[in-house]
Amino acid sequence: MNIKRNNTPGEIGPRVVLSWILIATTAYCFLPWVALEYGITDFTMDELLDALGWNYNKATLVVPLLLLILVPFAWIKLPRKKSGWLFTILSGAVIGILLFSFIASNTSMGLAAGVILLCLAALFAIGISELGFQRGDTFIAGAVIFVVLMVAMFIFYPVWEIFRNVLFNKAGAFVPFQFFRIVTSFGVGRVIWNTLRLAFTVGAATTVCGLIFALYSVRATSRFRYLIRVFYILPIITPPFVVGMSLILLFGRAGMISDGLMFLFGPAGIFTPEGSQGIFERSGYIYGFLGIFLAQTLSLTPVSYMVISGMLSSINPAMEEASLTMRASRWTTLWKVTFPLLRPAIANAFLLGMISSAADFGNPLVLGGEYDVLSTEIYFSIAGAQLDFAKAAALGLILLFLSLSVFYIQKKWIGKKSYVTVTGVETSGNVTPLPKFLQRSLTLFISFWFILVGIVYISIFLGGFVTQWGADYSLTLSHHVELWSKGLSSGAWPSFLHSLSYSVIAAPLTTLVGVLIAYILTRKQFFGRGVIDFGTVLIFAVPGTVIGVAYILAFNTAPIELTGTAVILIITMAIRAMPVGIRGGMSALSQISTSLEEASILQRAGSLKTIRSVLLPLLKSTIVSSMAYSFIRAMTTVSAVIFLATAGTDVATTYILSRVESGDTGVAVAYGSVLILTMLIFTLLVQLVTGRSRTDKQVKII
Amino acid sequence: MSDSSIKIVLKNVSKYFGKVCALNAVDIEFAPGTLTTLLGPSGCGKTTLLRLVSGLEPVSSGEIWFGDENVTDLSATRRDIGMVFQSYALFPHMSVGQNVGYGLGVLKTAPDETQERVREVLEMVDMDGYQNRYPDELSGGQQQRVAVARAMVLRPKVLLFDEPLSNIDSKLRRSMRDDIRRLQQGSKITSIYVTHDQAEALAVSDEILIMRKGAIEQQGPPQSLYHHPETAFVANFIGESNVVDAELLGEGKTRQLVLGDAEINIAQGKKTTRQNGPVKLSLRPEVIEIAPKEEISPQALSGLIVQSAYMGPVIEYSIETKVGILFTRAPAYAGQFQKKEEVCVRIRPEEIIIIPNA
Repeated sequence: MNIKRNNTPGEIGPRVVLSWILIATTAYCFLPWVALEYGITDFTMDELLDALGWNYNKATLVVPLLLLILVPFAWIKLPRKKSGWLFTILSGAVIGILLFSFIASNTSMGLAAGVILLCLAALFAIGISELGFQRGDTFIAGAVIFVVLMVAMFIFYPVWEIFRNVLFNKAGAFVPFQFFRIVTSFGVGRVIWNTLRLAFTVGAATTVCGLIFALYSVRATSRFRYLIRVFYILPIITPPFVVGMSLILLFGRAGMISDGLMFLFGPAGIFTPEGSQGIFERSGYIYGFLGIFLAQTLSLTPVSYMVISGMLSSINPAMEEASLTMRASRWTTLWKVTFPLLRPAIANAFLLGMISSAADFGNPLVLGGEYDVLSTEIYFSIAGAQLDFAKAAALGLILLFLSLSVFYIQKKWIGKKSYVTVTGVETSGNVTPLPKFLQRSLTLFISFWFILVGIVYISIFLGGFVTQWGADYSLTLSHHVELWSKGLSSGAWPSFLHSLSYSVIAAPLTTLVGVLIAYILTRKQFFGRGVIDFGTVLIFAVPGTVIGVAYILAFNTAPIELTGTAVILIITMAIRAMPVGIRGGMSALSQISTSLEEASILQRAGSLKTIRSVLLPLLKSTIVSSMAYSFIRAMTTVSAVIFLATAGTDVATTYILSRVESGDTGVAVAYGSVLILTMLIFTLLVQLVTGRSRTDKQVKII
Repeated sequence: MSDSSIKIVLKNVSKYFGKVCALNAVDIEFAPGTLTTLLGPSGCGKTTLLRLVSGLEPVSSGEIWFGDENVTDLSATRRDIGMVFQSYALFPHMSVGQNVGYGLGVLKTAPDETQERVREVLEMVDMDGYQNRYPDELSGGQQQRVAVARAMVLRPKVLLFDEPLSNIDSKLRRSMRDDIRRLQQGSKITSIYVTHDQAEALAVSDEILIMRKGAIEQQGPPQSLYHHPETAFVANFIGESNVVDAELLGEGKTRQLVLGDAEINIAQGKKTTRQNGPVKLSLRPEVIEIAPKEEISPQALSGLIVQSAYMGPVIEYSIETKVGILFTRAPAYAGQFQKKEEVCVRIRPEEIIIIPNA
């Protein structure tokens, strides 16, 4: 018996080349070459015909004609190097011509141009892989090109646009001092100070609270600790500003707790002595630093809990037992052994808390009052009457700088400082319990926390059912009726459906690209890898508001005009959720031994087959869970989309915020509670469906 | 040797990782149909060499030839290689049958032919009937057998083993290495086998290639490496050895080695081309005999037992002598010398190895 070896694996057949050329030519013939006036969803036949390349400008015929040159070379077998150069140079040249003509004539690209660019990139990848890039692996070469293009277009280019708006004036002249003029023209120092002060305190508070929760859930002997493992899911499924809204319901001027305090300690309160003014006064104390601080601490603590508890549970109990056998008390052990081992996680949690606080937009918007921070200030310089793009860009630059420097510290300083060795071996021995006194105080703290969180969520759900919170507590369905039973084209439905459909498209997209990036970064070495690496850092570090401003600046004019379309919202959601896919992919891939892929390659499988038959099945659960998490992120995101959503494309979060701004708190919380409930049901469903499968169990073994 | 066996030749091959040189301009020939072991301490470049041959890692410079085909620029997929990984690398989500049949599927072999070939190759490793089991339901030794079957199912031109037995307990290791030897000799596929265990290397190989710091120290059949090590490193690495300093004197029938307080006549024994003067010797433990101190003679060293350990059939001794501590063993039935006891140490002249390159 002899094995057939007629197909050489990894070689490009004529079919592949031809299909890319065919797609490109078809797009040229039937899709609009230039952007349509009212977008791809709303056009007349005449508009479409006018926009078709051959109708619009005969010169565009050059593109398909150049492509047709390649057709015979699908069959003609040139030596590898020669055909490599041919494909690389020709497709590279056409890409250059295409981009140049659009930029030079200042016209916006249509769908056809986009599709053709993609096909050209694929042909380019075939070319350079024949030249030896990625050792001749066309699929990987294509993936690398795709990722580089994507990062360039949706990260580098928009961020550059921010710089451009600061460095150049409207006429295009270089004005290096504009930045200083902008930032010195108003109280920017105060805004930065406000942002930093808030970030610092929130970082510290979330770290301490996260540490408490981690200690309790990993080390306490009480059954209560199982509750904690559930609690971190709530803030994930809650849109960031909803906690802020409920704080208003509780502590605002007409807040329920304010009312209570008024009743007890106010001027006529029952504990107030006759004739005295009382120690409590109705005021907007929740608006400002205190309110934002409280809201951010409540919603960001779970993040720091996860970071710290992850490390705490991987500390080998033997180290603490060693300390105990050397006559150290539990306190000393905790203080001298456990905490020093946790130091990297604590620092990490602190920095993460800082970044998230500085980047948070929803809570300062709802609760900020007079307390202005960078993220809201950026929004108001575009959204308000000012419409000052240069100022927004300058502020965005500052916020980006802050965020990047904290991120840099985290990566360089802490990234390598882990004392905990993860061996994959189950650590034996019993964990050392907490000192009695400590456990009691922690129980008290955590009970208080749960009561507060409970009240927050109850108030959100009740808020949707009372007529006018603070004034008229009679139950009503009117808010929900207004939202949900006025037909699909009014009330909450349009925004809800937009959110759903955009997120459903964005979630698989972002997971796919995220896992692809993770794969390239963990498995491939090549020239230019640094570009993707740095792009990923930007994806992680750029705050949502900065992305929002950058996208407005970048995609509002030719050659790529996307603002006002659903596409830009989907892309924004995808980019914002991408860290989920990248992080999930990286940690899953680092658990899969590379020898599995090598074994597949040595069984004659190409990289595409290897990814499909070996990696994807093993990554299945990672992919499903990051898709679910990306979906939730996309549904609840607000900071970036608020800049890009328009009347025709508003999403749930922007709709809710607009109702908050117009004072309809009841409607807003009613919508918010439905959103939370939807996410909760969705999460439970996903957990039910995925369960624990055979591959899950086995990936752990490797 | 079957006709399909090929020769593997590395011509001036180097490999750099960044600035670190893992392999420095080596020239090696692997004879057709043989099994050659790459042996050396960790970090010596043996795994790198294996990965260069497999194509999983590109060479920095030099050429690799399979028979009369230059495969330097071919990717691993196209080189026609079977490989057994240290971790076995069985796909955890596929059954044994799917694992072994994976490559046949890639080459679009008909399903019933695939099934037949999978059965055939599993039979060779005594694993027929396990087709529907999953890797996590098998013992380490069984996983190992499946990995070997998978490497052989496509009848590759070259078989590579990357420390295949390092995860198996020592009792099973012996029978596994015999199986590998038997399969390789049956198929006559040119094979390269990486290990750091010298006993394993001696047992399975036609040839052993000792590597050190990215270069080849010595290549040859097991016996020749054991009896004629060219360097102190090889003498130490293959088998156990006491490497000591001595001086070569005299000529012809009076050729002598001065070894501490002993003068050993080697005229009838070892022939050496070395000039008179200081030399290094390799003394295997089995060459060294211990006798009560009363038997001391000019040809023997006087020594002091510093350590003795009862090992069942033999007793191991460390003896302090003028040339350093010598390690040896003696049969247990001869009775045990005590620690701190003075003894006479005799060395059989015909078995003394004078290391050529030292």
